[in-house]
Amino acid sequence: MNTMRMMGKVLRHPNEFYYDLQAPGAAKWSHAILLIVLAFIARMVSILVTGYAYETREPYEISFLFEFVWLVVPWISWSVSNWAVSTILDGEGKFKEIVVGSAYALVPYILFVVPVTLLTNVLSLDEASTYGLFMNFIQFWVILLFLIKVRVLHDFEIGKVVWITILTLIGMFIMWFVCFILYGLIDEFVNFIINLFKEINFRT
Amino acid sequence: MPVTASAGSPYEGYIYNNLEDDVHSINGYLYLDSWDGFGTEAGPLNAPDDIYIDAHDQLYVADSGNNRILMLDDEFELIRTYGDAEGPGKLNTPKGVYVTDDGTVYVADTNNKRIAVFNADGSFAREIAEPKSILLGDSFVYSPSKLIVDKRGYLFVVSNGTTNGLLQISQNGEFESFFGGNRVRFNWTRLLLRWFASEEQRAQIVAERPLEISNLYQDTEGFIYTTTLGGEFNQVKRLSPVGVDTLNQGNVSYGDYFSSGPFSLPAFVDVTVDRNGLITIIDQNTNKAFQYNKLGYLLFIFGGTGEQNGLMKTVSAIDQTSDGTMYIVDSSRNRIDRFRTTPFGELVHRASALYVEGRYEEAEALWREVLRYNSNYDMAYHAIGKAMYKAERYEEAMEYFKLARSRPDYSQAFKEYRKEWMREHFEWILAGVVVLFILIRYMLPRFVRKLRAWIGASGRSSKLHDATQAIVKEGEAG
Repeated sequence: MNTMRMMGKVLRHPNEFYYDLQAPGAAKWSHAILLIVLAFIARMVSILVTGYAYETREPYEISFLFEFVWLVVPWISWSVSNWAVSTILDGEGKFKEIVVGSAYALVPYILFVVPVTLLTNVLSLDEASTYGLFMNFIQFWVILLFLIKVRVLHDFEIGKVVWITILTLIGMFIMWFVCFILYGLIDEFVNFIINLFKEINFRT
Repeated sequence: MPVTASAGSPYEGYIYNNLEDDVHSINGYLYLDSWDGFGTEAGPLNAPDDIYIDAHDQLYVADSGNNRILMLDDEFELIRTYGDAEGPGKLNTPKGVYVTDDGTVYVADTNNKRIAVFNADGSFAREIAEPKSILLGDSFVYSPSKLIVDKRGYLFVVSNGTTNGLLQISQNGEFESFFGGNRVRFNWTRLLLRWFASEEQRAQIVAERPLEISNLYQDTEGFIYTTTLGGEFNQVKRLSPVGVDTLNQGNVSYGDYFSSGPFSLPAFVDVTVDRNGLITIIDQNTNKAFQYNKLGYLLFIFGGTGEQNGLMKTVSAIDQTSDGTMYIVDSSRNRIDRFRTTPFGELVHRASALYVEGRYEEAEALWREVLRYNSNYDMAYHAIGKAMYKAERYEEAMEYFKLARSRPDYSQAFKEYRKEWMREHFEWILAGVVVLFILIRYMLPRFVRKLRAWIGASGRSSKLHDATQAIVKEGEAG
């Protein structure tokens, strides 16, 4: 019930919410996990209830795993990158607060994406702009919460928030790039070892 | 009763569905027989390069290697040959032939660099020499290979190696203009190169040229169809008298999706169109024929590369008689292969003709029969959906559009269905709105108050959330 109460608060008083999140013991890992799971469920349900005219993918093209990865990887990489960048540039936020705070920033999406998607069942494609408006509103709200989070948790002024956000995004891409390269190298290496064993087996 | 021997077709029928996957289909065309001229009055063919079939189903074959044009009836009995042994009527590798309604034969006499004109009786009439114009440019080399003559008497000539389009030439041999040329597509790489390259580097980059037109066909309405050699999109065009493509809207890809792709593009070398607007094109890379209806829906694919009857080695020309039999010229095997329509092919043609004219309701029964034979035929779902829509059976239309994966049409039908549903259930909707209003106005505040009290109570009783109590209380205070 506590989570629900906090979800309500992040919608109504985001500034206060993020102030309060800095109180000792206020940020909980369990909340973050719960919210991410809820966001995942909201995403899957919204895909499920989309009206036929608005579907952009065939059912077989949708994968539980990929949807999950596309939610969790940006969330974690954002948190890590934001924490790293802001720590260097005198931010006050702790890693745990950033992770939990980012998860709470998804609350508008969790609560409203399903009702808005239900609209696609009564709207025709001519009225797509109505649906687009609501979806853009949700996105805007989530982005706004992310920015408020950066501002309050690290105690920055507006100009620095924008600067930090840009640096965070760059950091995210660098992280993905490094992971991608690492994956390639490790894959090559593992293949090399396997082939080596095969070769030795074959010769003896 | 004569017995016809039959064997399985060497090629399997397939079609592309709405997901651009190739799926099994029933063949619309099957191999009938071949003719190579051996042991006949005409003698064997040598590298035939073009075929023209006139309104009376008489064949004119450009027998390029033998420097002659053969006129045959539709059972390959020789009627006449064009091209003299000596004199001005001697042809040199004629690659194209066109015959006007009065029987005048126009021959693209490729290596003589002229158009030779013969009278209907076979005698040489005159020649139309190489056109001269400053518009053609200095590097222009005249190599006429295919031609048609329009109703005004203008010749439209494909000259090999010319990328500016068809040459429009008057009866006197004067060059009028280029017609229906392809355009160079926008390309980021080219743009960047042009920005960053120095003057000398730019001179070294080979100028991108528009794609060459390989062949052309004139339908009964006077539209000129062209095929383009290579290219990914819009390789077939239907040109209006002012040279505007009326067949393709946006980028349309013809031919096979997988055997072509960016690595080996189809090479369409000829096109034929029947009176219902069925477009059949042949691809020299796969040696397959692709048939589309007037709106550009793929109907049938037949042929292929190989030695068996029904497969070909180098397709070079295609035309059809009035009964729909396809004549495909194979210039490597020096023969003409005939393909006949199957009953399924005829059924689809009839249904498609009605569909193209917008007579969806009449076509519906035919399309249902098509589906009975072949449920992979996605166009049928779309057509039945349209029929249902026209009959104002919107719910069924939605179902069929869903099967056809046509979202815009589905949405349109849904809109009508929604309108109908609202009209039928108007009282209930009104009642619902009133009830909802009462609920929101009077019941919701009470419910929210109760919920709050309950959350507060459960929050206080929970020992697990002791640490966050301070925040909760602060929240209540604030």
